[in-house]
Amino acid sequence: MVGAIVAFGLRGWSGPTLVFVAVVLSGAMAGALRRMALFALATIPLVISILLVNTFLYPNARDAIVTVGPLSPTWTGATAALQATLRVVAFGLSAAVFALTTPIDDLLTELERCGLGRRGAFVVAAALGAIPRTVERSREVVDAQRARALDTEGRPWRRLKGLVPLVGPVVFGALGEVEERTMALEARAFTAPGRRTLLRRLPDSGRQRLSRWALLIGSICLVAASLAGAVKLP
Amino acid sequence: MTAPGSTPGVPLAAGSAVGGPAAAAPSTTDSAVLGPAARVPSIEFEAVSFAYPDGTRALSEVSLRIEPGESVAIVGQNGSGKSTLVRHLNGLLRPTVGRVLLDGRDVRPIHVARLSGLVGLAFQDPDRQLFAGRVAAEVEFGPRNLRIRGRELAERVRAALEEVGLAADAGTNPYDLGYSRRKLLALASILAMRTPVLILDEPTTGQDARGVARVREAVARASGEGRTVIAISHDMRFVAESFRRVVVMRQGRVVLDGAPDGVFGGAAWAELRAANLEPPLPAVAGARLGLGSTPTDAALVAALKRGAG
Amino acid sequence: MVVNAASYSYAGAAQPSLRGLSLELAPGRVVGVVGPNESGKSTLCLVVAGRAPGVIGGRLEGSVRIDGVETASMRPHELAQRCGLLFQNAATQLSNTTATVFEEVAFGPCNLGLPVAEVVARAWQALRAVGIESLASRDPARISGGQGQLVALASVMALRPSYLVLDEPTSELDPAGTRLVAGVLSRIARETRAGVLIVEHKTDVLAQIADEIVVLERGAVALSGPATAVLGDPRLAKLGVEPPAPVRLERAVRTSGLEWSAALAEAIE
Repeated sequence: MVGAIVAFGLRGWSGPTLVFVAVVLSGAMAGALRRMALFALATIPLVISILLVNTFLYPNARDAIVTVGPLSPTWTGATAALQATLRVVAFGLSAAVFALTTPIDDLLTELERCGLGRRGAFVVAAALGAIPRTVERSREVVDAQRARALDTEGRPWRRLKGLVPLVGPVVFGALGEVEERTMALEARAFTAPGRRTLLRRLPDSGRQRLSRWALLIGSICLVAASLAGAVKLP
Repeated sequence: MTAPGSTPGVPLAAGSAVGGPAAAAPSTTDSAVLGPAARVPSIEFEAVSFAYPDGTRALSEVSLRIEPGESVAIVGQNGSGKSTLVRHLNGLLRPTVGRVLLDGRDVRPIHVARLSGLVGLAFQDPDRQLFAGRVAAEVEFGPRNLRIRGRELAERVRAALEEVGLAADAGTNPYDLGYSRRKLLALASILAMRTPVLILDEPTTGQDARGVARVREAVARASGEGRTVIAISHDMRFVAESFRRVVVMRQGRVVLDGAPDGVFGGAAWAELRAANLEPPLPAVAGARLGLGSTPTDAALVAALKRGAG
Repeated sequence: MVVNAASYSYAGAAQPSLRGLSLELAPGRVVGVVGPNESGKSTLCLVVAGRAPGVIGGRLEGSVRIDGVETASMRPHELAQRCGLLFQNAATQLSNTTATVFEEVAFGPCNLGLPVAEVVARAWQALRAVGIESLASRDPARISGGQGQLVALASVMALRPSYLVLDEPTSELDPAGTRLVAGVLSRIARETRAGVLIVEHKTDVLAQIADEIVVLERGAVALSGPATAVLGDPRLAKLGVEPPAPVRLERAVRTSGLEWSAALAEAIE
């Protein structure tokens, strides 16, 4: 959140640069740099369009780099483009760092501690847990139907006909399990009233908490000051 | 303990199709069309090893030959490689090392859809395949994929349902049947394909006594027709009584292979127990009484009679 | 636990699945339930454990009482603490939201909002009762079928129910897994004095661990009594139940005209 505020709120270069550096550093510390690079790749389409639009079409810019027919990319435009790109990438990577360094179990525990409620936490966790299981089951269904000579490698029309025998068992199987799973949950007192006991405890010293609040308040003040013109940043 | 099965089945004579259209003379040279009228092929695993993409080794240098018409049971603890092994026969899995041969021909280039016309595999969990709204439609699916139509199709469906005792439920929704009858339905849907090789993965788990009886009958009938029948099972009694050859697997290897007499005989018990299996009770009783190898009730009774008479 | 003349129909069903059924489950005893498929065994499990009609609807006539209290009057989480229920598929009974077996077993006590110290104590106790302390830090998604059943059992035991109802718990397990689960159930009944009701096809397993057997036929009790007596009853086969191997073997020998000797009896022990 702080990253978003600073990356977009501050005028000029310092905001996004700061965030970018901070994010890359924390990513490096967490050993998540390679995966972060993948996230960065995802921003490429947006980045390209920003660069193109700003470089070529920045309003009222006169300092052309080169003129080729009707096209005249400008330095002002290019600068603006780079700045915007940096903002987007900084923001994206800060989200990435968060996602990659927070184990889902810890995240859910914290949310529940803050009042999410057992059902909410369970739904998220169970949905995530269901993914590998569903993938596994789909694979088995495909195998079972192929063993009955279902053609999964032929022409598209034939493969389309095979959709129901492939999707049906996965869906029916999942639905059929619902009753048993619900009973299994109730057999473990899931519907008991009151707050659930949380076993996991995230280490959260007073100092961490203090620095979190300081960071948040500080960044808001900084952005406000920058917008008001009271502070001039590069 | 590596003697092959006692009575290898005889390949069907040309023209006596295994339930396929009687008119077509099977072409043994045409590798492209291995239709239902083909003769029963021999099966060979040639030093087959298989590892899953994540590295788990499921099979280690398995070499096994199954003659046409044999009835073979594959036993072993969960994770010993039984299911992995049989999935190589219809192409769902391909060996990482080694070859799988049907009638001496490597099956690697043949698509699963084609191999399924030769090798029918009934899965352990029926719910992995049920999608039709009616029992009859479910059974039709397999043969229909094999291009069977019309009267031939109707006849096959009727016969298959009859065989598993579901003839009266042809119009029922499969999910209105209990688990064990759904399992019989899954069996019927493979029987209707009339494949020369029939593989059953745990056909008796979850079945009551009547269901087990139906499965036995189906196995006996298929064997009687000269088809190769392979079953994976935990039920040692079913294995000893319905199959002429038992293959014991442990950690991806074949550790015992022979007739029930040999595999359940006293000399093999150490190996059986190492594979986490127990011999069936008649074998244990026979050994205790010094009667030799008696893997089935009938064998024990016969041995007692010989002793008494 | 006492079931009195219970008749139960599922919601929307034309016929009752249970008809006038009565049975009793005493603490520390193991009662086995057998019968052909669709004789009402699974329905019986749901009714005895109070889930039918409570959770799944339908209509119940007659009464089901645990320690004198009608199960119909209990809320699901209260029921969970009195009577545990387990099915054949281990995978569907795990919550799939926990990273370790320990947390899975602690799931129940956590749901009750018990203090952390007590949750931890109960979890370890349950793990010990089932004999799977060594699995505590394993990932529940990566354990074998038999182990999964034991984890499901432990997570139910963590709620300290006085009764346990199991619907074909070994049906999907291999022989080693079956022996494991059967042994644990027997020990739990003895040590924690829980009353255990177990539906099984494998009569050999019941021969080892059951004190009494009830045979169902079309929703009603066809036979009941001490395990040895019922399993040896000649009517069993006609009722669609396979007798255990020793009984079957003895019958085979006798029908062939041979003498049944003490040596034979000993040989099939």
